[in-house]
Amino acid sequence: MNCKELVYMLEDYIDGTMEEQLRRELSVHIEACEPCLNFLRTYEKTRILCRHIRPDEIPDELRKRLKTFVMEKVRERQRNIEKYLGEEARERLRQVEALLRAYAVNRLPPVVAALFQAHNDRCERCGAFLRSINGGKGPVEITGIPPDVEEHIVEFLDALPPGEATNLT
Amino acid sequence: MTTERVVDDNVLLEGLRRGAPEAVESLFDRYHNRIFGLAMSILKNESDAEEAVQDVFLTVVRKANTFKGNSALYSWMYRICVNACLMRLRGKRRSETVSIEEFMPVFTEEGMHASLIDDWSKEVERKALEKELGQVIQRFTEDLSEKYRVVFVLSDVEGLSNEETAHILGLTVPAVKSRLHRARLYLRERLSGYLQEGKTGPQ
Repeated sequence: MNCKELVYMLEDYIDGTMEEQLRRELSVHIEACEPCLNFLRTYEKTRILCRHIRPDEIPDELRKRLKTFVMEKVRERQRNIEKYLGEEARERLRQVEALLRAYAVNRLPPVVAALFQAHNDRCERCGAFLRSINGGKGPVEITGIPPDVEEHIVEFLDALPPGEATNLT
Repeated sequence: MTTERVVDDNVLLEGLRRGAPEAVESLFDRYHNRIFGLAMSILKNESDAEEAVQDVFLTVVRKANTFKGNSALYSWMYRICVNACLMRLRGKRRSETVSIEEFMPVFTEEGMHASLIDDWSKEVERKALEKELGQVIQRFTEDLSEKYRVVFVLSDVEGLSNEETAHILGLTVPAVKSRLHRARLYLRERLSGYLQEGKTGPQ
């Protein structure tokens, strides 16, 4: 072990990750070598002094400006998301209404009609609602679609083969 | 980091995922000082740091949904901050830095110390001096290239573990240790020079 090797292993020596055998060799060297002892002491002292470094404080004016900027952007983003979600919901409702109107006048494309019938035969809630809007015997004003029925029909629309849903509107 | 802080951060994160402005406000209040300090230590320029901090918070808000929580929130934010800063540095002419090599210890062919090594550790015990030397060290770190400075700031100023620093910077733990060690060797050397000068008076 010489001084050069010692310096390059100092980190492991100090943080305690050095294996015992090497550690003993190092200690023997340090005891006999004044420059290395001094080096070790000043190296450790440097580490301690580093704790007195304070990160730059943010000036008040800058803090306020930053916060205003960030919060403004976040609110703007939130408004856009809400707007988008609102439009999505309205668009979904339009599609559901279109489907129901087409159903009421027996104008559903054959594939859709068959699939829709299959769902309504299985689903009590949707079946009951459809019977209440006249069971496909004529034009009807579609109002007050119960939320769970709307949800089922949205799922139904989402699961249609590509292109079939757009044919309705 | 205490457990309490981690729990708090999880609550915050839930709010962020919903995009709740109050959550963003708490996030800002809790972290802006540290994020700004980190950005300043990399960029060394207030207006650049300001833009980087803006980026960090907007990125966190935008990506809160995809953040899986494999690491702590602050460590994720540090990572975003380091990336935002390095991106800003990339386009710029490198700020002037000293060569760290000039301050590495020198040895004889037999591997003995080639220069005189003084022990000044006892002379700097006074509290007032410690503070002054903290500032001196900070000035010296500004001369380091960002490769060393970032590692040094995360580990020795922010007090993160080597593992956390490695994770944030995308480095291996041995790479972090080696950079940190070199940064400390550099600082020890410059500090020795500074104290030596103080003893003999300014030249």
